Amino acid sequence: SISSSVASEADPELLQREQHARSVLRENFLQCLVSMTNRKVQFHMHEKVKVEATFGASDIDVLNFQVSDLHTPIGVQKEALIRSQDVISVTFDV
Amino acid sequence: MMQCGWPLLGPLQWIRYTDKQVKVKAGKQEEHRGWMVTVDPVSASVVLVDFSEAGASVRVVMGHAVEEVEVLQDADAETVQRLRSAFVLPKRPGLGP
Amino acid sequence: SWRSSIAPPSERPGERRAAEMKKLYGEDAAKISAMEAAMQLTFDRNCDLKQPKYWPVIPLKL
Repeated sequence: SISSSVASEADPELLQREQHARSVLRENFLQCLVSMTNRKVQFHMHEKVKVEATFGASDIDVLNFQVSDLHTPIGVQKEALIRSQDVISVTFDV
Repeated sequence: MMQCGWPLLGPLQWIRYTDKQVKVKAGKQEEHRGWMVTVDPVSASVVLVDFSEAGASVRVVMGHAVEEVEVLQDADAETVQRLRSAFVLPKRPGLGP
Repeated sequence: SWRSSIAPPSERPGERRAAEMKKLYGEDAAKISAMEAAMQLTFDRNCDLKQPKYWPVIPLKL
């Protein structure tokens, strides 16, 4: 955030703590995305749309999800991209 | 209690929510409870884990959809352990080599 | 990248990216960069291979 980066620029110790926190959070999130590969996931989307698919991959900016066998309300789309802006949440079981 | 601006909080604030049971309001009508595992510092998306008899379910709530995050309770040592083992995670800081 | 047009010509995109990562992640920048590169590669390769189309065609949320 803007406020924290301004504060941390003036304080090397704070900057280092912020970098470490960001790194731990990001690494764990990337691990989560990797663990979704080839899993059946359910997307809760805006306008009350719920769809199932097999998760493929995400781009690193988390803007798009690449999925297969997407069960849309009007049939199965073999390969699809889902915009993260359309998504509220994604679930899967481990 | 977090009222607004979740995506703007930043890493040092987000990390304080990890290993806590939280209630997340998202979109217009979704409300989810779970143990917060991590927050993506790029998209502010949160990862929640909920345990069941069958195993665990994971929910990723997109950062842009997060309306409110409320801490319900801290995880005890056993839950922290379950969070580590239910989900393939790398070692956390201070947990040895 | 959206910044390329305003960056000084002597500065190369790869170097700028590395400097940004260093600022964000400090001593873990190389590790995070490697994880991101692997993930983006998988995404790009899958898209090349499978040619997925956006669903829905029109965004639900603009």
